[in-house]
Amino acid sequence: MAKEATQQAEGGTERTPQWAMAIDLDRCTGCEACVLACASENNVPTAGEDQAAMGRTKHWIRIDRYYEGEFPDIKVKYRPVMCQQCDEAPCEPVCPVNATYQNAEGLNVQIYNRCIGTRYCANNCPYTVRFFNWFAPEWAEPLNLQLNPDVSIRPAGVMEKCTFCAHKIKRAKLDADAEGRELADGDVQPACVQSCPAEAMVFGDMTDPDSKVARQLGSGRSGQLLESLGTKPRVFYLEKAD
Amino acid sequence: MDRRNFVKLVGTASGGAVTGACGRQAEEIIPLLVPEESVPVGVEQWHPSVCSECSAACGTLARVMASEREIEVGGELVRQKIAAVKKIEGNPLDPVSGGRLCARGHASLQSLYNPDRLRSPLKRVGPRASGQFEAISWDDAIAEAAGALVAADPGRILFLARAREGVRSENIARFLDAIGAPPATSIGVGDFAAEREASESVFGRSGLPLYEIQDSTLVLSIGADLLGGWVSPVLYSRRYGHMRQGRRELRGRLIHAESRFSLTAWNADRWLPVWPGGELALALAIGHELLGEQGADAPASVVSIFADVDLEQAAAEAGVPVEAIRQTASELAQASAPVVVAGASMVRQNSADAVAAAAALNWLLGCVGKPGGVIPPAEPLGVLGRRRRFSGDWSERLEQAAVVLVDGVNPAYNAPASQRALADAETVISFSPFLDDTSAFADLILPDHDPLEQSLLEVPPVSPTPSFVAAGEFVAPLYDSRPIATVLSELAEAAEQPFEELTVGQAVSTLYSALGSAGSETSASDFEARTLRVGGWRGQPSGKPPATPGTLGPFEMAPKQEGIVLQAYESPQFGSGSGANRPWLQELPDPTSSALWGLPVEVDPETAARLGLVNGDNVRIRSEHGSLEAPVYVNPAAIPGVVSMAVGQGHASYGRYASGRGANPMVIVGDGRDETTGCPTMGPTPISIEKIAGGARLVQFSRQDRDLPPHRV
Repeated sequence: MAKEATQQAEGGTERTPQWAMAIDLDRCTGCEACVLACASENNVPTAGEDQAAMGRTKHWIRIDRYYEGEFPDIKVKYRPVMCQQCDEAPCEPVCPVNATYQNAEGLNVQIYNRCIGTRYCANNCPYTVRFFNWFAPEWAEPLNLQLNPDVSIRPAGVMEKCTFCAHKIKRAKLDADAEGRELADGDVQPACVQSCPAEAMVFGDMTDPDSKVARQLGSGRSGQLLESLGTKPRVFYLEKAD
Repeated sequence: MDRRNFVKLVGTASGGAVTGACGRQAEEIIPLLVPEESVPVGVEQWHPSVCSECSAACGTLARVMASEREIEVGGELVRQKIAAVKKIEGNPLDPVSGGRLCARGHASLQSLYNPDRLRSPLKRVGPRASGQFEAISWDDAIAEAAGALVAADPGRILFLARAREGVRSENIARFLDAIGAPPATSIGVGDFAAEREASESVFGRSGLPLYEIQDSTLVLSIGADLLGGWVSPVLYSRRYGHMRQGRRELRGRLIHAESRFSLTAWNADRWLPVWPGGELALALAIGHELLGEQGADAPASVVSIFADVDLEQAAAEAGVPVEAIRQTASELAQASAPVVVAGASMVRQNSADAVAAAAALNWLLGCVGKPGGVIPPAEPLGVLGRRRRFSGDWSERLEQAAVVLVDGVNPAYNAPASQRALADAETVISFSPFLDDTSAFADLILPDHDPLEQSLLEVPPVSPTPSFVAAGEFVAPLYDSRPIATVLSELAEAAEQPFEELTVGQAVSTLYSALGSAGSETSASDFEARTLRVGGWRGQPSGKPPATPGTLGPFEMAPKQEGIVLQAYESPQFGSGSGANRPWLQELPDPTSSALWGLPVEVDPETAARLGLVNGDNVRIRSEHGSLEAPVYVNPAAIPGVVSMAVGQGHASYGRYASGRGANPMVIVGDGRDETTGCPTMGPTPISIEKIAGGARLVQFSRQDRDLPPHRV
């Protein structure tokens, strides 16, 4: 849980949402729609074949897939994996410049213009979801027209990763403010959640007992990736029901 | 964009678009086509659009914002402010996409902004397929094309077009009527000709049936990769999710029978690996067992096809153990809401028969028109009746054709045998926005606008309710391209033939009249305005269209082929190959092999061990039709003796991201046909494999196929 679960707002107590995601693996089909939704939303550049061969692609979200058993009794185990937004994030304490830290809402944030590119955070992440910009990203004209002006382009020498679509969270708050209401469950939909054809992903405030994500966490199928490491991820996986 | 916000925005906007952004209160009237100078910086607009990547016709929303591009004016580079599309999302009001979108739909943005789009009409100046073209004016291009059409015998004009139903195909049909030429045909890619044929015989109705899997308790899919790239992947993925976890205390089960461990097989509770071409035998065997399980309370014509099946023989030809067949039939018989999804994701010589036999199982199960069962196709909508059909003899007609017009299909890639006829044709005219494998053969390329740059109206092949999707124009075209309807109109005028273009507005008005009571709108113009604002029209579910089986069978099972065979398949990321010029899709890991920027030949572990092959080795594959070289991926889930390769790479010409990359398995497959529909098959084709030195590298996102042992702390 974030260090500050609540904060005092002027004139009363305002709950600080604690963002979390639940991914129902019984719904997920492994179609990778989330992967491209994320790339499109977050200006994630392609690396090209040569850099890809060196393992330098950037996929803020990926589908891990492992075969189990042998033909014909073979199965495949798969799950979407992105930054797990850990409460006890191994990437945070190793950053010498505090470029990555957990904010009050539980997001593991990455401050691009603070990052000096030591890559210690990526070394320390057990989920391998952090990506280093070895070169400045390039888009052949006019592919640059697709870029989302709400998300900054990361320059060479800095680390990047899934933000839980922090810009959409901010935007949802502004919209709610403009309408004079509180943020409602479902107002924030990260690009992967919004796109998922099987409706396998749910995002919301885990401390709101009425939120969809809170209900999913209580479903009895919920678990975390590499739970034994004690990283306390904010991404929860609902295991297949079979 | 979620449903709540979109409905809210639609309610406040009075023009053709809806605005959002920081001031979501904006109520500015925005014309359909947004003039560049009126795009406020930082304010987003959401415009309904139609996805054109596959044939499902998902309704989408395009996020449009102010942007800048550099253009050359009088020899100087200047910055031009434009309205640019920033993202595509599903339209939450669309009954097919439901606000969701697949990977290919997202990547359609990279068709619009692809750096290899053609900037103007082109005329060939070098030999065919040499790629040597020069830019010409539209006037000259129209005059030349019209000249060729006038000079040709109308009977020898062949129009090859996409398998879509809407204003575009209606205009093509009208143009061909005007010049006295035969109707257009698709090349059998994405047309689902076998499924359509089977629907006529099994349900007595034309079109594609709708499977209500979201309410099923047990789904058996035979040959239909419904979660990968079959008829409507987003719709069926949504329904799959609901089937699994959308109902309280009820989780539906999925058994999948296919000759490949596809995305649907990934998700199945049980995969029945069928020998390629054995789908018919499997369906007949299951039907035979079902007759034994629950008697013959089904139409006699259906019962007759299953009654005399030799179970042992059928099981042997399907390559599925008798016990697995019995167990599947027994589970179907006991399920409270079973359904059999019948498809041919990979077309075989007997696909129309196989799909008919599989679809007919639904009569035995009594689930036709029932909740959780199958809904036979509904009546077609108004003026957009299903005029254009696949013609099985298209390649023979291509050989005889004097003028070949090509729109949205790539026969030189998907049916490589057609290259000879394309090279010999007197005139080839392409409407492709890209210099692709087929337009490289063209004498004239008259580039179409990108789908996001033009108004569209399409009828989805399957939809939970009667519906169509429609979009107005909202961004100005980037280049000197023209929409195909305009070009056809100009061609007809130059050829002095009567042609009346059907606009999207006219089509909506006509549909309004045809639909009778279409909603709360009181006039055709109100209906049109609302239709374009929300991205289409959705009617009430039409109930259960009456269905009666026609003549079925007798079906003859094909003997199982011996030796190693190759089957080609359409992958979720590249479809029939059109996705290969989008860099996002090239860098999206192939679900099976995790390959990036290339597609491997998938070999089973047994065959690989015998030939001494490991991941990344290169092989030469030969069939009687041709040969290819490609890296190997040892697929742990491949059927021994069945080599698979996804379609997508191996384009001779398709821009910087796709040209000359990898190999095209259709070269190996040859020109086999489904015997009933004439649809090109995707194997199985007998092959030989030989390990070779060197060759292309296998780039994988993840080289690890097996999980590590559990971590110990």
